[in-house]
Amino acid sequence: MKILGWLTVLMCGALLIFNVSEFPDMGDANSPANSKQNLSEYFLKKAYHDTKVPNVVTAVLADYRGYDTMYETAVIFSAGLACFFLLRIFRKKGPKSRFYRHTPTGVTLRIDEGGKLPEESDVFKRIDSIWIPHDNIVRITCRLVVPFIQIFALYVIAHGHYSPGGGFQGGVLLGASIILIAVSNNLRAGIQRMSEKGAALMGSAGVLIYAGTAALCLLLGSQFLNYNALAKLLHIKPVVARYNGILIVEIGVALAVMAVMVWIYYNLSSAGKHDEGL
Amino acid sequence: MSTHYPALIIVVPLLTAVIVAAVGWINKKYCFPLSVASLAASLLSSIGLLFEVMKTNGEVVYRFAGWEAPMGIVYNIDYLNSLVLIVVTAVALINLIFSKGSIENDFPDKEGVFYALYILFTTGLVGMVATGDAFNLYVLLEIASLTGYALLGIGNERSPLSTLNYLFIGTIGATFYLLGVGYIYIATGTLNMAEIALIIPKLPNVGIIKFAFVICMVGLFVKMALFPMHGWLPNAYSNAPSSSIGLIAPLTTKVTVYIMVRAGITIFTPEFTFEKMHLDKWIVWLSVIGIVMGSCFALAQKNYKKMLTYIVVAEVGYMVGGFWLGNKLGITGSILHIVNDAAMTLCVFMAAGIFSYKIGDHISDFKGLFKKMPFTMTAFAVGGLSIIGVPPTCGFFSKWYLVSGGIEAVKATGSIGALAFIVALLFSSLVNAVLFFRIFEVAHFEPFSEGHGHEGHSAVEINEAPLGMLIPFFIVAFSLIFLGIFSGDIVSNIINQFIPVLPAGI
Repeated sequence: MKILGWLTVLMCGALLIFNVSEFPDMGDANSPANSKQNLSEYFLKKAYHDTKVPNVVTAVLADYRGYDTMYETAVIFSAGLACFFLLRIFRKKGPKSRFYRHTPTGVTLRIDEGGKLPEESDVFKRIDSIWIPHDNIVRITCRLVVPFIQIFALYVIAHGHYSPGGGFQGGVLLGASIILIAVSNNLRAGIQRMSEKGAALMGSAGVLIYAGTAALCLLLGSQFLNYNALAKLLHIKPVVARYNGILIVEIGVALAVMAVMVWIYYNLSSAGKHDEGL
Repeated sequence: MSTHYPALIIVVPLLTAVIVAAVGWINKKYCFPLSVASLAASLLSSIGLLFEVMKTNGEVVYRFAGWEAPMGIVYNIDYLNSLVLIVVTAVALINLIFSKGSIENDFPDKEGVFYALYILFTTGLVGMVATGDAFNLYVLLEIASLTGYALLGIGNERSPLSTLNYLFIGTIGATFYLLGVGYIYIATGTLNMAEIALIIPKLPNVGIIKFAFVICMVGLFVKMALFPMHGWLPNAYSNAPSSSIGLIAPLTTKVTVYIMVRAGITIFTPEFTFEKMHLDKWIVWLSVIGIVMGSCFALAQKNYKKMLTYIVVAEVGYMVGGFWLGNKLGITGSILHIVNDAAMTLCVFMAAGIFSYKIGDHISDFKGLFKKMPFTMTAFAVGGLSIIGVPPTCGFFSKWYLVSGGIEAVKATGSIGALAFIVALLFSSLVNAVLFFRIFEVAHFEPFSEGHGHEGHSAVEINEAPLGMLIPFFIVAFSLIFLGIFSGDIVSNIINQFIPVLPAGI
């Protein structure tokens, strides 16, 4: 069976390599994908005129083929839903024994089942049962880095029109900043910043912003996703409405991606229990 | 609004799925009515779209974001699209109403997310059927696959493993399709299906297109579980919860067959598919083996659900073989069978849902069922007869077209593959008859034994499925007869309008 598998893989690989010989040369100006009557030429020449977006990739992604991008956002959202659906366990009971750290002295307490649990406060912090020694350097460094990551994320989202970037990348950065808090402290510290319900609702909201904007265009009498229709609502020129429409949907994408990243992390790192994690 | 039907069919469920996922956290009560309303709206728009297509005589064009064909994404809805759209939305709607009770039972904490996944899955399938863009199809395939894995993976304790298996194989299939689309783009410079079809005949060198064709088709065969690539299907389907299997089993394979038809006729053009490729005879043979093996494996099963999954594998062989016969009757039969088989499979899987809800999955548990659940068994009998292919039900008519297509192919070219296809069809019908009459026999003649068999037949009390399950079940059973009676109209008014003039000599 193993040999059969190897043979199949080798044959597929050989076929793929063999077919490269049929490809047009690299950078060939007359290849079908590059030639005059086709897409590349049109996009390079007309994209700025059509949308006022200097970054052609963004114009194609969020306007010409914005319908695909909407579904890509929905794919990410479904990934979040799928992880939650398969992994989440709504367990009523916690683990048998809990660990607490007395912050001023650094003493660790283990409280077994039935013992009196201290109140959550700055003095007594709950820690995971597989805990690592209190490490100020890691925690403080991560806390310092987080705001910069978030500012940069906002820059990436807003600058998608001009430079590489946009909703997906910015959303991942935002999500990473929350996950960094969860990694450097523990899962509960992350959940304190963004609750599970919050992440789930924000994920929905992100996709809703994208699809809702698109549907709004339909309600205003134009085609689905045709941002021109927003011009009436915003009292601006149709081309500028396209520019702004792209920004709105990028924000939706960023929100969805951030929330889903965090949500998936919560479910994966704690095997769905949302109690103790990495 | 009628000009926006193509968008509404997909956008209403998408928006509702997102809203339902959020509403599930706030108040679970609203999830079910919202989901039903969105699928009903989708069904109504697809019916409206069919009338629109008939009015415009063949094509409704919808430009997303207002861009023309090669730049933006454009839907070209024709007869085939709108027919399959109605099937997909109707099956999803009826199964959702049917499974309300079992959803509340199986996933009490995750109802909202289940409904959201359910509607997203339907959105994915509907989008795949409606789209006129080869890459857009892949994106929606991703949505349908991802949500499908989630819906299948939550069944019994063995479902995570079988779904993981499906995930690996399904991802390979989808990747093959994507690779094929990439090759097409390299060769033609466009992703729009209609444009690709215009460019392909003019290309001086079709080497890349040939490879793209093969790799696309292999990807689709993996996804639709054609015989040697069917390994993932039986376990993944039989371990899944009944609420999601009623959606996935009737639709996934059929929509993939639809994509194959669409790729063969609209993207690659019939001349290329049937004349230049020289693959048709091989694929007919493959489907012959698939039909025979699927039927034989089905005979070996003692578990009702597992038996059905092998019947699904055999039915895929019917549709693929019918299409690759390459003549009008065969393709008609293949498309008609997409519609009929979706209804038939839904019917027998609904029966599986009721059986596992009430008694169990093993055929030996079915003793005395005709006395115990007379209404369920009546509707189930209609489904069984339709799969066998008994005349007033729809299964007979699509098989009739498939066999006539086979006869025509034998007459025209004398191909042995087509002859084998006819024999395989008849053999599989016989096996299906054995399979279902075995169940009828157990359910009708063997007394309900467990513990009180000695009290005689009168001791069995009627213990029917709840009305919320029975009514949708009866609608589906009735639709099997309805589709059978009106199959002539469906063929002449819808399917024949779609099939283009095929090149002579095949």
